[in-house]
Amino acid sequence: MSTVLLILRRCALRHWRLAFKQQLALMLILALGSSVYLAVRLASNAALSGFETFTDGVTRQPDWTVQALTGSLHEADLLKMRETLGPLPVSLLPVVEETVTPASDKGNGEIGSRATWRLLGVDFIALLNLRGQAPAGLGANMQAMREGIYVSPKLGAKAGEELRLIIDDRIITLKVAGVVPEVPGIPSLPAHLILMDLPEAQAMLQRGDRVDRVEVLAQDTATFPKLREETGHLLKSHWQVRGGTDRRQLAGTMTQAFRLNLTILSLLALLVGGYLIFQALDGVVLRRRNEIGILKSLGVTDRAIQIAFLLEAALLGLCGGSLGVLLGWLGAQAAVGGVTKTMNALYGATSEQRAALSPREALLALSISIFASLIAAWWPARMAARTPPAHMLGNHATPFQGGTVWRVEWIGWAMLLSAVLLAQLPVLRFENGTRLPLAGYAAALLWLVGAGLAASTILRFVAQKKSMSAVWRIALSHLRRPTVRHRFAVAALASAVAMTTGMSVMVASFDHTMRGWIDRTMKADIYISSAGAQSASSTHAITPQTVAELGQEPGVEELAFVQAKTLLWQGGEVLILGTDPVFAHKHDLYAWVQAPQHEKWWQPEDGITPAIMSESWSERFTTHVGDTIDLAGHKVRVVAMNAEYGNERGSLTLPAAVFREWFETDEAWRVALMLKPGTDAETVRNHIEAKQPGLSVFTNAHLRREALRIFRQTFSVTHALEVIGVIVAVVGLGLALTSLLLERRAVLATLHSLGMTRSEIAKSAALEGLGVACAGAFTGIAAGLWLGWLLVYRINKQCFGWTLQFHAVGWHLALLGAAVVATGLLVAALAGRWAALLPAEHTEE
Amino acid sequence: MKHLLILFLITSLHAQTTTDGFALPQPGKIFAFPRDHGSHPEFRTEWWYVTGHLDAKNGHRFGFQVTFFRQARRENDKIQQLHLAHAALLDAHTGRFLHEERLNRAGWDADSSATTLAVRNGNWSLHLDESTQHLHITATVKNEALLQLELEPIKPLVVFGKNGVSRKGASQTAASHYLTWPRLKTHGTVKLGAAEHAVTGEAWMDHEFSSSQLEAGQVGWDWAALQLKDGREIMVYRMRRKDGSMDAASTLAVVERDGKVRHLASHAFAWEVIGTWKSPRNGAEYPHHVRLRFENESLELKPLAADQEQDGSITRLPYWEGACDVLDSHGQITGRAFLELAGYAGDLSGHLAPQAK
Repeated sequence: MSTVLLILRRCALRHWRLAFKQQLALMLILALGSSVYLAVRLASNAALSGFETFTDGVTRQPDWTVQALTGSLHEADLLKMRETLGPLPVSLLPVVEETVTPASDKGNGEIGSRATWRLLGVDFIALLNLRGQAPAGLGANMQAMREGIYVSPKLGAKAGEELRLIIDDRIITLKVAGVVPEVPGIPSLPAHLILMDLPEAQAMLQRGDRVDRVEVLAQDTATFPKLREETGHLLKSHWQVRGGTDRRQLAGTMTQAFRLNLTILSLLALLVGGYLIFQALDGVVLRRRNEIGILKSLGVTDRAIQIAFLLEAALLGLCGGSLGVLLGWLGAQAAVGGVTKTMNALYGATSEQRAALSPREALLALSISIFASLIAAWWPARMAARTPPAHMLGNHATPFQGGTVWRVEWIGWAMLLSAVLLAQLPVLRFENGTRLPLAGYAAALLWLVGAGLAASTILRFVAQKKSMSAVWRIALSHLRRPTVRHRFAVAALASAVAMTTGMSVMVASFDHTMRGWIDRTMKADIYISSAGAQSASSTHAITPQTVAELGQEPGVEELAFVQAKTLLWQGGEVLILGTDPVFAHKHDLYAWVQAPQHEKWWQPEDGITPAIMSESWSERFTTHVGDTIDLAGHKVRVVAMNAEYGNERGSLTLPAAVFREWFETDEAWRVALMLKPGTDAETVRNHIEAKQPGLSVFTNAHLRREALRIFRQTFSVTHALEVIGVIVAVVGLGLALTSLLLERRAVLATLHSLGMTRSEIAKSAALEGLGVACAGAFTGIAAGLWLGWLLVYRINKQCFGWTLQFHAVGWHLALLGAAVVATGLLVAALAGRWAALLPAEHTEE
Repeated sequence: MKHLLILFLITSLHAQTTTDGFALPQPGKIFAFPRDHGSHPEFRTEWWYVTGHLDAKNGHRFGFQVTFFRQARRENDKIQQLHLAHAALLDAHTGRFLHEERLNRAGWDADSSATTLAVRNGNWSLHLDESTQHLHITATVKNEALLQLELEPIKPLVVFGKNGVSRKGASQTAASHYLTWPRLKTHGTVKLGAAEHAVTGEAWMDHEFSSSQLEAGQVGWDWAALQLKDGREIMVYRMRRKDGSMDAASTLAVVERDGKVRHLASHAFAWEVIGTWKSPRNGAEYPHHVRLRFENESLELKPLAADQEQDGSITRLPYWEGACDVLDSHGQITGRAFLELAGYAGDLSGHLAPQAK
């Protein structure tokens, strides 16, 4: 071991000191790889934790959350709950919940740009029974109850201050009755959660005796060892019951696909980064071969040399990883805003959080860096240890061969074939409709690596070009017999380009499909929602009075509205919509995936309620058209399937009359207006918005723009990862060429002495690089098209249940290819210029 | 006719309500049951107070208290009814005292019937089965104990006070209607931890309603209910004034074996403190070991455990309410008792003494 440490100190660390810039560059590469992964992970975790704080409610994590099968819970239900539970010591905490928006926040006109807060109505007096499990200071005692709202100190409002809030379609001024102090060890209020005493909240929200849910606390003790389980069992007999953790998981499930995609993408970026790390470490071995030869001649064992190299790699990994943790954290702070915004638009209100770095995440990033460094150093270290001293010391050393896997092209083709086969496997299904396209992701990984390995075939094809020019002939001769370094450079480029192409195809397919869907479904002139409705899951509603007033607006010919409620089905949350089917039929508003057999689908044939399911519903619950399902105690027959890209949870559309009967509400979620011919939509929009400040009014054109903007925002993170992948691959190409030229310095010197000018040597190197870039770009784009197919038809369909039309934008791909080739040429030219000036003998750079 | 006129003058001079409109106890009230076992929301304060001693077959002994309070508040011309409840269990064998306080609005999770005895607060309940005239109690204490008890009155209901009104002070408003079942034969189960005990014993139940328990100058009270082996029961309270003296309205009542009640005025009995216990939680010093002297009797109330303090986690009104043995002058156990010491951790007058109209 002492020999190993001696080598490490005398050789490795000396090199670090002498070639500090190179070591720093290497560390930066390692740091970049781990930081991308860490940044994406932290940012998505932070955005998710915003969800969690909202779902926590006001007590410690409730053991159960109870909701009505459909509609709200009434006081009679609460009494029945208590009677059902008998003597069991269970706390029942009824809650009304509504999303609210500060009226002062005008946003920038974009959906999702205004803040969404949540207002919880809870019984402050009953909360006093939960001391230590609920925020302290609510009402304090029975003598000190004040009317108004209670807020977190993080909101910055003071007691006595007035807040103007948009609640449903009204603007209401509420007085801050108190600021709930934060007491260590006791749950504190999230910044954007507002509390109100239950009776006051019910009155303000015009709920009568209705509540949205009941939070149940039932802790097992020695006296009641199965209290939680027993409570859940008893309550499930009449109501929808889900575990406290289910609620948290629900937020996780909702965003699971999104987060998983980000993680997989960042891991793929790391894969491309892995090539780069390998190339960099390979270069290190190459530069020190003389020294290794001397050590071996002096009797140092192969094992000691290998261990010393691996230790050095681990040390590099540690330093690079530490830097990566810092960079990743910084990157996460920048990314969290974008990720949160996307989650907000797609899934609902989440409060933006700072991306906090936990020791676990830091350790994970460090481990990834060290692991990647060790894996990448394995072959170079082995090569350094196994090469005889004479070869090491000679200038005409055998070029590095690498592992068999890199020299046998059929392995690459076999991987491609395996990927195709894997892509045929079905999705993994879990409870509550969650799906994981594991086989799809594995296919993507195999395809990327396989395409990289098989890309060498293209390299030889490129080299078949006939040329009389010596410069060309020298360049092509290297490509005809590609070394492992060539193969690596091509593989890295091909993988990165394939990944970028695949993502580009998916985004283009999505864009194309969305536009078609918007054309088919958005036919009204004006769309109206509550001004507080900032996301797909906002609960802001429009009251029946307001709907009636909108119908009276001059210029309005027809009015229709959509009602929406969520309910639990098969352990997951689904969206139930209520629409006027006659209106929808008249204006042909449905984008059918499977059209109903009868035009008037809403007329029940045998007394069973007819309904339309979205494609996501079908995918999530494997429901087929014609199936009869039991939904919250009602029998429903699915008569058709429509395309719906608004949510991935799945929706079921009921005729309006049935919806009203189920949910006992006339409140509208969205209102659509058809205007009389010749009426200017913009004028009507302005008129309504001036008259109803609690509403957001969109003209058709504006809403279309918004829909596409939100969609593009969803993929903004993806684009960043694509760019990183390509940059890493191009840098890898530069490093590979540098190593190759360094290894060939004696040959270069010979060529120079034979009369070849330095400019010709540089040109030859640049052409060699160009060949590698062309092979990488071509293979990458070709492989990327299949990857796009996999993402569109397999992964996306299995994750979201959306059928997309495959669409590749030719000029996008041509531009990508040209950019990669041009950048590759530039990097290769720079490396060639540097190599042309290399002395024949090795010196420390 | 002359007597009728005098009676009319007396009753018309007697205030009917407090300044904020709550009813005041009226002399001569004729009680009707089961209605008067139920709630009287026209009064500000009402409680159903059950205390008792239980013995398990394995020799385990318990003291228990299950109390339901109703407290009305007038806010902006609306009356809000709040329901407070206390439950406590003393394991006399280990001295472990479990207690819990609970507060709810009147509504789905707390209620008191105005037609019969049926009160509940969360999962705690007390109700009268009119067919058997037995009472049923269900209560838990901090998820650690479960009491399910059936209580059978074995002595008739007692109305304490003069002419149906129990006076607590000289002022006209400091009074209550005070109904008691002085001896209830009790059986049921006590589950404590994993062990469930079949228990039998005797309990005491007060039902009292008023709109002003204390008058100006009073800071609290000491109360005790004794069940003697000779078949008699004793109810005694002393109203304490700020200067430490006993208010003249203090009373000791003896319920004879045949159910007849004798009231003794404050000068006819003595309340002597033998020992005190200081609460480690709030520093209040409770005189929890006392001797009563009246007529020719001397009865010592010896607590089964020193710490039987209800800490008032919600109301912030701690008090001591504990199971005691009753010892005669020879040190022989002659009965069992419950002792209540209120107003030692702060003056109660701010909470329970509004003005009369």
